Amino acid sequence: MSRGTQVQTVREWFRARSTGLVGGAFWAGVAGTVTLGIAGCTHLLSDHHPAAAAATTQDLGPAEAGTRARVRLLTSEQYTNVIHDVFGSDIEPGNPIPPLSRTDGLLELTSASVGVTAGQMMQLQRSASAVATQVMDNGNLDKQLPAHRDYLVPCKPKKADAPDDACAAKFLKSTGRLLFRRPLSGAQLDDLVGKAHHASAQLKDFYAGLSSVLEGMLVDPMVLMIVDQTEPDPAYPGRRRLDAFSVASRLSFFLWNSAPDAEVLKAAESGAINTPAGRARVVDMMLASPRLENGIRAFFDDMFAFDDFDTLAKDAMVYPNVSGTTLKDAREQTLRTVYDHLITRNRDYRDLFTTRNTFISPPLAALYAVPSVPGWVPYEFPPDSPRVGILSQVSFLAVHSHPGRSSATRRGKALRELLLCQVVPSPPPNVDFSIVEDPKANFHTARERLTAHRSNPVCAGCHRITDPIGLALENFDGAGQYRLTERGAAIDASGSLDGKNFNDPPGLAHALHDHPALPTCLVKRMYAYGSGGPLSDADKPELTWLDKRFAATGYRVPDLLRAIALSPAFSEVAEIPAVPAPPAKTASLTAPRPAAQ
Amino acid sequence: MRNLANRAHGLTLCAALAVTGLGSSSLLKADEIHTSLQDRGHTIGYVTTDLHWSVYQTPDLKADCPDGLNGNGPRETFKALFPQGGSVVNTELAREGLKVFPTDKPAQFPYIMAAGPTAIGLNLDGKVGPNDFVSPSGEQGINNALFRVIGCNAQYRAPDGQLQLFANKLIRGFNFDRIMIELTHVDSLVNDDDVEVTLYRGRDPLLLDATGEKVAPGGTQRIDVHYGKKLIQHLHGRIADGVLTTDPIDGEWPWAIYFDTPAVLHIRDMRLSLKLSPSSADGLIAGYTDVDSYYHWLTSWSTHHLAYGRLDPSEFYWALRKAADAYPDNNGAMTAISSAITVNMVQVFIEHPAGSSAEPLQRTADAAH
Repeated sequence: MSRGTQVQTVREWFRARSTGLVGGAFWAGVAGTVTLGIAGCTHLLSDHHPAAAAATTQDLGPAEAGTRARVRLLTSEQYTNVIHDVFGSDIEPGNPIPPLSRTDGLLELTSASVGVTAGQMMQLQRSASAVATQVMDNGNLDKQLPAHRDYLVPCKPKKADAPDDACAAKFLKSTGRLLFRRPLSGAQLDDLVGKAHHASAQLKDFYAGLSSVLEGMLVDPMVLMIVDQTEPDPAYPGRRRLDAFSVASRLSFFLWNSAPDAEVLKAAESGAINTPAGRARVVDMMLASPRLENGIRAFFDDMFAFDDFDTLAKDAMVYPNVSGTTLKDAREQTLRTVYDHLITRNRDYRDLFTTRNTFISPPLAALYAVPSVPGWVPYEFPPDSPRVGILSQVSFLAVHSHPGRSSATRRGKALRELLLCQVVPSPPPNVDFSIVEDPKANFHTARERLTAHRSNPVCAGCHRITDPIGLALENFDGAGQYRLTERGAAIDASGSLDGKNFNDPPGLAHALHDHPALPTCLVKRMYAYGSGGPLSDADKPELTWLDKRFAATGYRVPDLLRAIALSPAFSEVAEIPAVPAPPAKTASLTAPRPAAQ
Repeated sequence: MRNLANRAHGLTLCAALAVTGLGSSSLLKADEIHTSLQDRGHTIGYVTTDLHWSVYQTPDLKADCPDGLNGNGPRETFKALFPQGGSVVNTELAREGLKVFPTDKPAQFPYIMAAGPTAIGLNLDGKVGPNDFVSPSGEQGINNALFRVIGCNAQYRAPDGQLQLFANKLIRGFNFDRIMIELTHVDSLVNDDDVEVTLYRGRDPLLLDATGEKVAPGGTQRIDVHYGKKLIQHLHGRIADGVLTTDPIDGEWPWAIYFDTPAVLHIRDMRLSLKLSPSSADGLIAGYTDVDSYYHWLTSWSTHHLAYGRLDPSEFYWALRKAADAYPDNNGAMTAISSAITVNMVQVFIEHPAGSSAEPLQRTADAAH
């Protein structure tokens, strides 16, 4: 499908939405997959807002840099966060958005190129219906359920069994602004109020009518997708920039993993968010917000590939101490450590891999063989502990292992790919395991097995770049428990990382700490995450500037977040040369139209 | 003293906590553990996971209960005593009252005592007498008169005796029963002729393993220093060939068996005999259990439950008094009965409140290498 066709498809989608039946019935007509990969087209969608004041950007990054305007489907976590932030955490939306696959090291980067199937739309419809019902429910004293309508609808209708346009408008205006992440136009609001009137009259229930309109809003593509809308940039004639509300959304999903709140939207409405000083105030406010924790955790959960925990299981016969709770806590431990180290303490990112400070819970304490107390408490491993940095935490060790044993190869591969942004080739399809699977070989340790495996030249190439790293973590078994021996043989935990040799896990941690690719990898991942799509060669000047900036600020992540958020590239639109896109099947909402010119 | 104190932006959340314990890992070899003990404060704790009254039983009953199992439970005795029924006061309440206030009157129905020469237990008096048993491993002079009383009652027999099953199950469910032992001054879990043992009650849930059925070693328990203060008890002992043996004390062992109905066994000359490992302690609690405290323990189990195992409480009381073999009262009636409880424990870190401590633990289990 050409880019023009893609744009047309989305236009059709929007048109169908605007004329669809209350309650999101328009989705019912969609029978196939709608491709959302429409980078570079969104300037066609709107051109509403006047330019913000021009500003000097000399110290904020390369002025010529920009990012592509994209349309991204909300991730499952973002959808949940939006619902919770708008209506409260006791409104349960379910899980209507499926997990994403990984692109360039991040799940988030796939959200601009996913499809939504008819089945997924049905799930979204169900979720919307459930959310709307909860928001409008009248509570149940017997079940101790609150009447959400009493505080989520900011007014009382004159009659509960009849339309009340004024009250409906009040609710729809305030809720619509948060859900659509921009104010509703007068026409949009009138349309929604009219639908609410019609539904309330038909159903003889004000709240049921309002619920049906809310349900329709919740399946609106402009709610479910983050659409970068652009406008001419008055500071650079001939170039385009994100409009103020798109900047607000991009900032908010970057820093909070959720929609902008009322304050951020206010800065967008005033246009301040598109001035350097105004945006700096907004970004500083967002960095100081408690919602930042959601954003930081979401980013590192993505970067560390912790979604693997969702399907992780350990052999209970081999690791009886590892329960589902243990693994859940392992993920939580690292995310708590990350947030505490990088944000609360504002420490050097590289020190995350050598810090002895963490948090611990009773199930984890049993694996670490240390005491604990109920709940989560700060914990510091002693100076002579082999536990140094997050590499030696149960999360990394367990998730990059087999169900019943450790894996030096998986650990080495994960370290290179996730933390250093290097690519380790996949194994060939015809790997010969006969040497390591020979029962007569009597290998005791992983080092012995892998040494034998590397005798096969087909395997040696990749294993040489993964195993010397992973073998340094062999003092930790597949569940992350410390050990000195394997099958009665002493473990040799020596290894090397790109020319730096070490003898034990702390040695690896310090080698990683000093590896030049460690901070630059974070910059790449974080910039791509913030801009919502994979990087390209065009991003190199911005990345180079960010690398220097990150180093100059002592590798402080809040400074990096701020630098990305304030850089011109974050809101300037990069002009992408038009290239014919590969053909793709799309759903046809109406009769096929010719491609846009 | 092991401090969990950690600084986090000025927060010292647990500086007041002093925790002692010995890290254990089933993957560590014994020699590594011994080194660790010397390095790590010479302290190890264990928490109770299972308690069963020690009953030596054979599949066909021939050796232990050649006359079969007791058949006169509450339903059977009631039917025999009141074939025509009667008023509630004179029948049902009369029998229930007798459960709560038993008399010294002789049994009204035949009671089957366990026979045979073999019983599980310890030689409490250091002698070998005519009424003593032989242990399954051949040790002479075993004192366990309680076995005679309970051995042929279905309530107490594995695998599905109600009392054995549920009384044990509640060990894990009721914090009231959360007894721990802490060994201090331990140089070796194999041989050490001078070990201090302290009993505490814990106040935290047990840490379950991946199956959810077993208790995992490595959990942490805070000491109940309020309601559990009177249960803090000190023993002195020694370890020989991996078995801890303590000197006797007059001890208290809490064991609630019925929906939080508190019951505390008073055990005279109570001592422990436990096979130790870095991750577990298994063996016996033995001594002369006070008859009245034992009967109170039993009758906190409801009558209808006792009926399942055909155990009539007033008949049982007679048997208990008859078999009692120690601590006579002024009239020469014995007030305590030799007994043994099979106990299983797993390693646990015992957290002491601020201001008190056991031996210092300077490093973590996996940090000392």
